[in-house]
Amino acid sequence: MSQSDPVSGGSRSLPARERAGYRRLMLLGGKLLSALVLLLVGSLVVFLTIQAAPGSAALSVLGEQATPEAVAAFERRHGLDQPVLVQYLAWLGNALRGDFGVSLSIASGQQISSLMASKLPTTLFLGAYALVLAIAISLVLGIYAARHRGKTGDTVATSISVLGISMPDFWLSYVLIFFFGLSLGWFPTYGYVSPFVDLPGALHAGFLPALAIAAPMAAVFSRTLRAVLLETMTRPYVTAARSFGLKPRFVFVHFIFRNALIPYLTIIGLQIRYILGGVVVVERIFGIPGMGSFMVDGAFLRDLPVLLACTVTFLAIVVLVNTLTDALCSFLDPRRSR
Amino acid sequence: MKSMTTLSRRSLMAGTGALFGLAGLGISSRAALAQGTALRAAITGYGVLNTLDPARASLVPEFYVIWAIYNGLLKFDDQMQIVPDLAESYELRDNGSIEVRLREGVTFHDGSPLTSEDVKFSLERLLDEELASPNASKVAVVDHVEVIDELNLVIHATGPFAPLLTFLTNARTGTQILSKSAYEQLGPDGYSRNPVGTGPYKLTSWDTGTGLKLEAFEDYFEGAPALKTVEVPLIVEEASGVTALLGGQIHMTSTIPTSDVPDLMNNGNVQVLRQPGLNVRFISINLQKPPFDDVHFRRAVSMAFQREAMVQTVLFGEGAPLHGFFPPLLGDYYTPGENSVTSFDPEAAKAELARSRYAADEHPVEVITWGGGWWKRYAEIFVAQVNQVLGTRFTVGVTDSNAAFARQTTGDFVAGVWGWLGFIDPDEYVGDILHTDGWRNMGKYSNPEVDALLEQARAELDPQKRAALYHEVEAKAIEDMPVIPCFTSNIHNLLAANVQGFTQKPYANFGDQFMKVSIG
Repeated sequence: MSQSDPVSGGSRSLPARERAGYRRLMLLGGKLLSALVLLLVGSLVVFLTIQAAPGSAALSVLGEQATPEAVAAFERRHGLDQPVLVQYLAWLGNALRGDFGVSLSIASGQQISSLMASKLPTTLFLGAYALVLAIAISLVLGIYAARHRGKTGDTVATSISVLGISMPDFWLSYVLIFFFGLSLGWFPTYGYVSPFVDLPGALHAGFLPALAIAAPMAAVFSRTLRAVLLETMTRPYVTAARSFGLKPRFVFVHFIFRNALIPYLTIIGLQIRYILGGVVVVERIFGIPGMGSFMVDGAFLRDLPVLLACTVTFLAIVVLVNTLTDALCSFLDPRRSR
Repeated sequence: MKSMTTLSRRSLMAGTGALFGLAGLGISSRAALAQGTALRAAITGYGVLNTLDPARASLVPEFYVIWAIYNGLLKFDDQMQIVPDLAESYELRDNGSIEVRLREGVTFHDGSPLTSEDVKFSLERLLDEELASPNASKVAVVDHVEVIDELNLVIHATGPFAPLLTFLTNARTGTQILSKSAYEQLGPDGYSRNPVGTGPYKLTSWDTGTGLKLEAFEDYFEGAPALKTVEVPLIVEEASGVTALLGGQIHMTSTIPTSDVPDLMNNGNVQVLRQPGLNVRFISINLQKPPFDDVHFRRAVSMAFQREAMVQTVLFGEGAPLHGFFPPLLGDYYTPGENSVTSFDPEAAKAELARSRYAADEHPVEVITWGGGWWKRYAEIFVAQVNQVLGTRFTVGVTDSNAAFARQTTGDFVAGVWGWLGFIDPDEYVGDILHTDGWRNMGKYSNPEVDALLEQARAELDPQKRAALYHEVEAKAIEDMPVIPCFTSNIHNLLAANVQGFTQKPYANFGDQFMKVSIG
């Protein structure tokens, strides 16, 4: 109503600013709320899926010698004989207080939060390493291809990208191991070094796994970068800048690259969730004790509390990254937040 | 603005360069595993250990480590003969009870001496209903343990039970001896992760999902082990275990993927240890559901596939066809040669099918299996052969091992691949699988004559007479085809060229050999 009120037109500037602030707050609040709902729904889906799947943690722990009596005793001890909804609400109540409970079948009786405290940094390091590699590779390939469009260099760079997208990470892992580990002997074929203990060692031992995770992302990034760079190059403001007589390098950095950054960053933000997928497989192959292996073991051995804790953590990371990407894009292009 | 963008691009480039540089630096600083006093022995194919309390242990990798930390009263020597371990001597009485005299001067890792009380505690604890030990059946026949004095005791049995001596060895039994005082001090959960045994190695650290570290126990009763530390990484992917060893990160593995065996045998830089294993692989079938509730259908299926072809395609030749319920390594208990119902004979199979009350494709049969490795290939080869010969429409259902196991134990299956490994006593291969009340009798087979023979065999202490009884059991039961025997597989360890002294035993031993290993 106030917007269409011509009388208050003169004093509109102040409430408008407040409204914008309010809108931004609402936007943030809405995002937080949807993130919470997402976490809730996600945990419930995982909970119900595991309940519906055949198998049980008791069989994982007691093994093939499990007698029915031993299985029943195990389930009674861990409250697995309770109705599903009761179990879920009990879990939720504890999780809200930051207590993810104890592992059932992959580290019997141990606190999940303390287990995750050692595994999450490992995976974050590997993910960040992979991301840095992917960005570095894509900047080289993408910019090179765009600047040499249609020439042999472009074809080579684009072919490398296609190769990167087409290779499954587990296969690439073994190729990297075979080539750089076994044939050339440059990198260890297995194992993990903590970056908190020995950073150069961690970068060395983590290079092949990080590269295996980075390859498909690097391919997507560089293709995107090439495409948006080429598109930006034909923009009128670029033609105008050139006609001012600015040096090609200056035009590229300030008019083309800067404007291409936003779609490039958006793609990076969207792709980060695939790091989590890559981590699950690659951690297994290289024996890295991170969240990926933890979650896979949890799933195979029906360790519901572990699986729930991992799911919620992964969901939270994805939500966080998406929000951060949004914020970064707003920062680079202030028009977005208006 | 200008400086920011230029900087970011340059710094990213520089960063990439630095990463490659650092990676390069690392190469020279990292040498391959040299000779020394630290062994890196990887458990491959498994990523999870839940406990090192023998009474609660059930998973193979748990026992791999338990064998290094504990001793049993008895053990298997390199020729697979039962010999004393913590016992100095023992005598089996006719009524099934066992008199034991313990070694003098044995101490636990916490410094306390081994006494009869510890043995009584360790064995009777297995029967504690509150604990619900998965290994309780091993000592189900034990009534109580009588302590005579510090070093003498009698294990009283409710009756003669032939497998009891085997079950008291430091194998996959759960009857390893632990320190009563340490257990009472730490409590069940604390003890589970801080085991106190008498074995050559003690646990120093245990990182969930990554591995364990062991340290030599200097006061070990057979003398301090030469290798002072043993690291035991857990490598879930067997293929990764091979590349880790080839890359010099580990000294030995507990398994090898069968597909890699031929190549590795020709590789001069590694040693492949292999021998027939104590295991059986069969098709588990549900005798309460059609079509397998018909004996002729079961027999027809058993005759409709070539076991030798299975060994070649599934195991790359690393095994042997199986025509009965016992693996060949069980010596006197094993019946060599083929028999008419487990030999490939397409004509006889079709004739047998004709006697069945079901047509070939009348009932759908899903053969459940799991994973993507040889267990899946096993089901596929079985289904393909049977379908081709009999015209059935069997299908393969792929799930994961936990689900496959759960469905078979609850009767929610028609057929599935299955098998047992690491068992040493014949009773473990037939008693619980073929007896009406056997809790591993997943197909619900029941034959009163077989039941009676099994009970008689279990109580027969004379090995010759006992073997004869099991031959009778096998001959009777195979005609009913309660499970379809397929093959037995070889067991493997991969060792670096400079590792000596590991003696492989057919039940797939591991940690018990650490103290005998040397790195040249």
